[in-house]
Amino acid sequence: MKLKPKLRLNKPRREAFIGYMLVLPWIVGFLLFMAYPLYFSLFMSFHKVAITPYGIQTTYLGWDNYKDAFLTDPAFIQKLLAFVKSTVVMIPIVIVFSLFVALLINQPIRGRQFFRAIFFLPVVITSGEVVQELFAQGAATIPLMDQSGVIAYLEDNLSQAWSSPLIDVIKRFILILWYSGVQILIFLAALQKVNTQVYEAAAIDGASPWVIFWKITLPEVKPFILVNLIYTTVDLFTNTFSDVIKLIQDNMFQVGTGFGYSSALAWIFFAVVLVVLLLVAWLFRNRENAAYAGNGR
Amino acid sequence: MASFHGNKINPNRFGFGQVKFYVFLIPLGLVMILPIVFMFSQALKPLDELFMFPPTFIVQKPTIENLVTLLSLKDMTVIPVTKYLFNSVVVSAAVVALALLTSAMTGYALSKKKFKLRKTLFEINTIALMFVPAAVTIPRYLVVEKLGLINTYWGHVLPLLALPVGVFLVKQFVDQIPNELIEAAAIDGAKDTAVFLRIVMPLIKPAMATVAILAFQTVWNNAETSSLYMSKETLKTFAFYMTTLSTTIGNNVAGQGVAAAAALIMFIPNLIIFIFMQSKVMDTMAHSGLK
Repeated sequence: MKLKPKLRLNKPRREAFIGYMLVLPWIVGFLLFMAYPLYFSLFMSFHKVAITPYGIQTTYLGWDNYKDAFLTDPAFIQKLLAFVKSTVVMIPIVIVFSLFVALLINQPIRGRQFFRAIFFLPVVITSGEVVQELFAQGAATIPLMDQSGVIAYLEDNLSQAWSSPLIDVIKRFILILWYSGVQILIFLAALQKVNTQVYEAAAIDGASPWVIFWKITLPEVKPFILVNLIYTTVDLFTNTFSDVIKLIQDNMFQVGTGFGYSSALAWIFFAVVLVVLLLVAWLFRNRENAAYAGNGR
Repeated sequence: MASFHGNKINPNRFGFGQVKFYVFLIPLGLVMILPIVFMFSQALKPLDELFMFPPTFIVQKPTIENLVTLLSLKDMTVIPVTKYLFNSVVVSAAVVALALLTSAMTGYALSKKKFKLRKTLFEINTIALMFVPAAVTIPRYLVVEKLGLINTYWGHVLPLLALPVGVFLVKQFVDQIPNELIEAAAIDGAKDTAVFLRIVMPLIKPAMATVAILAFQTVWNNAETSSLYMSKETLKTFAFYMTTLSTTIGNNVAGQGVAAAAALIMFIPNLIIFIFMQSKVMDTMAHSGLK
């Protein structure tokens, strides 16, 4: 690529300028509707907030809201731990399941378009109140699981701390399937970008489908696994289904606790989600580097 | 994996090879359809069936009684229901269009333009994804009030435009477009607008369609902006109207059926948008030329 020297001098600056211009609407929107509200909720989390006819009145409390959350609130920490555990178990299941489905619907079979539509369908279901309604009606559980004794077996053989989230996951299995719509789409897009000639070449060289999957398909979709991990983590943690979020919302309009306390809870929850996310990203990245080094290049 | 079937002799006539896929696809597909079936069946259930124990999943004696009750209730309010519907359509269209534009622009810039804050901005966006939306209700109200957006259409639209998921998805897709492609276009004399519209946009259509679906859902089902930022009844949206209907009468026994019918009516536009958009997603992915 050879550019005229004059152009080359101006290029980085011009590019940066255009870049900023393109991002500008987002930055403005973000500052107004995300950054400032976030700052304000952080501010509130250190205060006692009372809503009066004359406006919002705040009294400084220091770390009291946070202390209360950890020391005096009986429900919060317990619910938070239970929720984090069951979610951490759910994340890999969602990823593996969505990759599996994406591989299936990428096969040359009859009715492929139809199946693709069906598996993407949960995207419109899981948002909003539909899913809650369904869960309330018991449509999201598998009766077979209760009858087959799997749950009793888990209860007997694992400590309470790990059996209860596992049972939770089993009971929500259908829900897990419904939460993988966007993930399936992302994986499918990734799979379709793989050059089919690579598969052909591998097959000619005698590679079995199993080997092809591990050596070609998986490395190709790897960047998207991380994308999906992040998306799933965020999606599971912030959906309306979460007990913790319900607790935060409940506290918001209680006279005794109010907005200050519920903001503190929200920030604790946020910190936990962030830690989980960083952990997920770190684990994954570490693995990728190791694999890369192992190639012996 | 079309190709290793391509190595077999007469692959298209081989039905057995496909059976193993159907074994998984059909049961899983059924699970995916269940909620839709449930929504329709719930709305069509007569009262006695709604409260039957054990509850039935599929309606036994379908009736449109619930829908009729819902429609007759609409006559009671002073403002015609079409006004709510009109508001919803205007607001939804504006949010989807603007959210697509800003997400695409931001995603493209964050992925392909080099400037100092690029990485930081994307990280901030990813972090913003994780925050509990309910926690920022009061501060958001204050912002909306200060900007003078109370009782304007913009009050519905602007707060929903900050869609971190959109930026996140679009950026990840633009990342996969080779830089060479954009450079080649630039050398051929394409300006930034042309690169954006003619190269980037067609290639990220799957992401755009996903963002459109997500944005539409957020705005269409959102009753919060109406209840918090709008005090004039004529500016409220259909979603808000539906929640008032199902809460005012939803608490008594007869209301359950109406609530189910309202849920169905709210859900149908989601389904339509989905069916329309998902074909776009799937069609473009196969021909995206992103190899």
